[in-house]
Amino acid sequence: MSENFENELRRALRPLDAPAGFTERLMAALPEKREIAPVATPVPQPRRVAQRFGVPAAFAAALVVSMLLGQHVAEVHRERTEQQAGLAASRELMEALKVTSQKLDLAYQAAKAPPPPVEEENRT
Amino acid sequence: MADGLLVRARAGDAGAFAELVRAHQGSVFSIGYRMLNRRDAAEDLAQDVFLQLYRKLETIESAEHLGFWLRRVAANLAIDWLRRVPYAATLPLEDGAEVAAPQREDDLLLTRELDRLLGELSAPARAVMLLRYQEDLDVAEVGAALDMPVNTVKSHIKRSLTQLRSRMIGARLVDCEELP
Repeated sequence: MSENFENELRRALRPLDAPAGFTERLMAALPEKREIAPVATPVPQPRRVAQRFGVPAAFAAALVVSMLLGQHVAEVHRERTEQQAGLAASRELMEALKVTSQKLDLAYQAAKAPPPPVEEENRT
Repeated sequence: MADGLLVRARAGDAGAFAELVRAHQGSVFSIGYRMLNRRDAAEDLAQDVFLQLYRKLETIESAEHLGFWLRRVAANLAIDWLRRVPYAATLPLEDGAEVAAPQREDDLLLTRELDRLLGELSAPARAVMLLRYQEDLDVAEVGAALDMPVNTVKSHIKRSLTQLRSRMIGARLVDCEELP
């Protein structure tokens, strides 16, 4: 595109004059008291550990947090395993008690029953 | 000096604000006039722009920022206005000579034809051309004013120049020898 044409364009598009009395009309339309638009003040954001104490401190903090977290997870796992073992032992005990109770029941019934009648032939 | 005016206007000096308006009203009015194709709408738009400035004087950092802010708000308000009222529904620029006051008769002819041809461009393309050639902003500044990527600004300029040039050659307002 020729530079000459762009210059022609600039010449043809030079700014125009505003209509006469524009400033006076505008000043008359201004509100009596200027409402000041609130300027957004930046809200202080909590700084990150790395920004406040430096990278090594942030790394150490992250390490401590991950160790504590690992310890907590291991503790939870151990508690759960113990709980399951306890439940299994309790089930076994209940089963044993049940079997014992059945056997005692049979023995009691056998002891309580009348002795069988003795046959005549055998007596002679 | 303009920074001093800005400080005084911020402090509530009406005279200083009027001086700022006088310094920039031509540019703001011209953007409105060439974007909207109507003198009354252009004056309303310019008034809106300066009323917004009056309310937001605290946010203007410097004289340079003021110039950029006014052009940005004027161009974007005009694009918004054209979204509501299509360009075709506006009146022709019948009173161009009164406001433009070019010195030569061929200038007057060129200006009128150019105003008409600018109206054939899309609103964003027209805003790009006005900020680039009327306000003499560089492509990065035009992009910042219109929230447009620089490459989009460049392609608007290239396409619009080709279109305007071919139309003006057709109307015999530009010499064919100018073609590269």
